[in-house]
Amino acid sequence: MLQIKPILSTLMRNKSGPILLLIQIILSVAIVANASFIISERLTLMDRESGTAEEQVFDFRLYSFDKNIDLESQIQRDIRAIRDLPGVIDASTTSMVPLSGGGWSSGYTVGSSEETAKDTENTAVYYGDEHMINTLGVELIEGRNFYEEEVLTGSPDLATHGIVSKAFAKATWGDDTAIGKTMYAGDFGNMPIKVVGVVDKLQGAWVNSDSLDNSVILNIKLVNVFTKVLVRAEVGTLAQLKQEITTTLLKDNRNRVVERFTLISEHRKRVYRNHELMATVLSMMVILLLLITSLGLAGMVMFNIERRTKQIGTRRALGAKKRDIISFFLVENYIICVVGGVIGGLVAVQLGQQLMSVYSLPKLELIYPIATVAGLIVLTTIAVILPARKAANISPAIATRSV
Amino acid sequence: MLSMKNISKVFQTDLVETHALRDFNLEVQEGEFVAVTGPSGSGKTTFLNIAGLLEGFTHGDYFLDGVNISNLNDNKSATIRNEKIGFIFQGFNLIPDLNLAENVEVPLRYRGFNAAERKRRVQHALEQVGLAARMKHLPSQLSGGQQQRVAIARALAGEPRFLLADEPTGNLDSMMARQVMELLENINKAGTTIIMVTHDAELARRAQRNIQIVDGQVCDFTMYQGGARQQGMGTKADKPHLVTDADKPSDESEQAQTEQAAS
Repeated sequence: MLQIKPILSTLMRNKSGPILLLIQIILSVAIVANASFIISERLTLMDRESGTAEEQVFDFRLYSFDKNIDLESQIQRDIRAIRDLPGVIDASTTSMVPLSGGGWSSGYTVGSSEETAKDTENTAVYYGDEHMINTLGVELIEGRNFYEEEVLTGSPDLATHGIVSKAFAKATWGDDTAIGKTMYAGDFGNMPIKVVGVVDKLQGAWVNSDSLDNSVILNIKLVNVFTKVLVRAEVGTLAQLKQEITTTLLKDNRNRVVERFTLISEHRKRVYRNHELMATVLSMMVILLLLITSLGLAGMVMFNIERRTKQIGTRRALGAKKRDIISFFLVENYIICVVGGVIGGLVAVQLGQQLMSVYSLPKLELIYPIATVAGLIVLTTIAVILPARKAANISPAIATRSV
Repeated sequence: MLSMKNISKVFQTDLVETHALRDFNLEVQEGEFVAVTGPSGSGKTTFLNIAGLLEGFTHGDYFLDGVNISNLNDNKSATIRNEKIGFIFQGFNLIPDLNLAENVEVPLRYRGFNAAERKRRVQHALEQVGLAARMKHLPSQLSGGQQQRVAIARALAGEPRFLLADEPTGNLDSMMARQVMELLENINKAGTTIIMVTHDAELARRAQRNIQIVDGQVCDFTMYQGGARQQGMGTKADKPHLVTDADKPSDESEQAQTEQAAS
């Protein structure tokens, strides 16, 4: 049976222990709620899909220092040779690699007239050919791919056709279809690019960017002494293909360097390393805090049982059942836990606002302090129930003993 | 009211077997005031613990108010302790963090009484012991005698069928002890059966019947009636005879005589 009033009386007359525990719970709730929120934020960020076949697609860098070759035909030969290798699904040159942390980005001008023209959000810009979509493993959901004859070789300024990500299309044209729309690489009317396709998802290179999901693929094969090549191959073939690609390319022309073979999934691990580290450290802190709080609760209960052994025996002698003794300790600690949880929740919200203003973190969602308090109640039950059961087994005969 | 037949209590360790009670027999009738005496280690406290359902026993039969106690589970034992038995402890055993009213209220909460009923009973019990005006005081603010009176009020609040008192005056000076004893006598006169364990021979003589326990057995019984004294020896329950009290209501006398005849 619940005995809240006499338990409150007891707590009020023995304040020091409960107050220390209360402070511990308040701090734990405040810290755990915010830490959990930050962990969740980080995990959500890390969980975002790039839209590409990350375990299949890798890139490498090709540096040609032979000044006597026709770079354009050399690159075409290289790409064809790579596509012919066993295990390779497709290959393409590229200006950038998803999640790699480096690449090209730009804003464009859109509108039906100079007066109504507006700038688009910033977007990652991939330059590639008709093989790029298949090489990246992105899904075309509207329109079409580039035709082979549409793809041009040379400068980025030559781009005439584009395939955009769904996020960019939505941000630029809302619910209206992007297919057939024109965007301008310069001011309104200059360097028009016609949108021919929309892919479901394609992230850019910068994971901390607000417009990570904005991407545009333009119909240009870049020709440069530094060339980035994207290859999509069967999972698990990278080690073998790394060797075969290097051998094949150097066999054609030894005057170059083939290096930095990296899967997109490896880029992902690298760019999210700090997020992962923070999530891990905070998780350990949360576990440690909850462990300390549980030990504090269990310690307090055990201390109280030692201190109240005779009192427990007396209560049993006066008619308390075992479940009354267990509920006594549970209720006592639930009171501390709930009071500490409510105050801790308010402190957590306040702390969240400070973190928001100082470190530009998102606003703490209320579910986190609420979930923390709920979790703490479960933890309290676990921490209290075992010592309380021990207390319930104290013999009522202890009441007549002079201990 | 209380009937123990061939009760044995054995404490067993790996090396030693200790017989705290052996073939212990006792009958206590309703309304009696029985004093239990005996040297230290004779088994008085074990008897009290078994009588109060505070601990179990190894062999024998124990009937309390017609209920066979032998195979009760923990919950039923707790219920009987709460409803039928009032305890008075040598060290008072008040809960120091609760005020007098809250202390007296403890067994009533376990009984499941509502707040109004608890309040009424607490008030009445504290009035009986003359401490109603101090119900908000903490035990530490009272003298030893007053604390024992609170403990008596706590024992009385549930209106038990009988009181078990373990050295109720053991921690009190003689004046306080006398007051507490008078209080117990009044409670007994009001109809509550009392079994009191004591070392004090003078207090024991004020009870209707003395039981002396030696080596875990009843070895001597003495009965007092209006100053007259009868004495006997034995270990069987039927040996001590209940002496009818002329002051008792006639129905109790009749009941006692009927039982005597039956034996």
